[in-house]
Amino acid sequence: MNVGAVKERAGPREFSPADDLPQEYREAATRMIEFHANSEIMGAYLERPFIRQAPSIDRKLAFSAKVQDEIGHGQLLYRAAESLGVKTREEMLDDLANGDGKFLNCFHYPLKSWVEVPMISFFVDGAAMRRQATLRRTSWEPYAHAMDKVCFEEGFHVKHGEDILKELMTGSQKEQQMTQEAFEEWWPRIIQFFGPTDDDSTHHDFASSVGLKQKSNDDLRNAFLDQYIPKAEKYGLEIPDEPRIRERDDGTYKVEEGDLDWDEFFTIAKNEYEPGVGQINGRKHAQEAVQWVRDTIETDTTAASGHAPQAAD
Amino acid sequence: MIWEVFRQEKTGGYHTHCGNVHAPDREMAQQYAAIQHGRRKPTNSIWVVPRDEIGEINDDEVAFGGTTDRSYRWATAYNTTGEDASEVVESEDEQADAEKRRGEA
Repeated sequence: MNVGAVKERAGPREFSPADDLPQEYREAATRMIEFHANSEIMGAYLERPFIRQAPSIDRKLAFSAKVQDEIGHGQLLYRAAESLGVKTREEMLDDLANGDGKFLNCFHYPLKSWVEVPMISFFVDGAAMRRQATLRRTSWEPYAHAMDKVCFEEGFHVKHGEDILKELMTGSQKEQQMTQEAFEEWWPRIIQFFGPTDDDSTHHDFASSVGLKQKSNDDLRNAFLDQYIPKAEKYGLEIPDEPRIRERDDGTYKVEEGDLDWDEFFTIAKNEYEPGVGQINGRKHAQEAVQWVRDTIETDTTAASGHAPQAAD
Repeated sequence: MIWEVFRQEKTGGYHTHCGNVHAPDREMAQQYAAIQHGRRKPTNSIWVVPRDEIGEINDDEVAFGGTTDRSYRWATAYNTTGEDASEVVESEDEQADAEKRRGEA
């Protein structure tokens, strides 16, 4: 199939590994899904310390279940990406470790305290879910199937994140104030989650014309704001003055893009933002520290299939 | 030789197990499967898999998840206020459904 034919046929879940697809499609889909997979992994690493720091046993159980889910989402997505035949899972994981793998802007920032947790697990996960729900109609079938399972699980993450926010915003004055400060720090980053405005998006046109991407950055950002500004206000959070957000006559919102720090955004996009580099290296060290587990599993598998002599033989 | 058959109704759908056929080789298995399982019901694609190649593990051997009460894992366990995003509502409904089926199992 050539690109023209792909564009013509493009529709929800239209293409599977059985189809003969052009390199342009395979590379665009790989870039998109690999980015998504990397983001799941880096998000999980960012949140992991809060399993230990969770303030109650209920939170600890739920949060540990959530982090486990996210790692699972990463695994599902690497499979969906690998099935395009452009990169292997090992290559993608190696690239993530050596700093070449790209991932979501929000996961380059440090997560320092429990009051910041709902910024990720309510707002960022909520934003992610807006996007993921549209990707159930992506044209790469294995990606859409991964989204079915991800969306099934993700509702719990968002509701739990919202529950943490609610608890903090109905807590002591100090807690409310700290949560508001965390919100002010994270708000611009969350708005940038959806990437640059459509005019500046490098990859949108092609990905959209072959049905990989279902909604533009701007549409998704607006859909997020429509849903989540009322939520934030409901819990008593004040929306920061900047970036300026205008409410249109029809009740939808528009962001003044010039108020956002795009230099920082593109530094992050190149994996050159200092805290993000620390997080990439942190994961790399964790990965190396448990190399012996993977080695043991590999060795055991060989031994069990009877080809390698046992130490006791 | 027995081949397990998985049928997909529409493009983009899941291949779900629908039965098996006797056949001496893969090509014949595909032919038989197409006739036995793709003739009457709407079918977009069929997979045939040699039974010997399928690994099975059942609930005698392992404790699968989803049977103990881990309510903290369900969206339904959290009462929040205001209208939820449509995809959050959808996820919660799917989870409520799975939870209900757990109760019936």
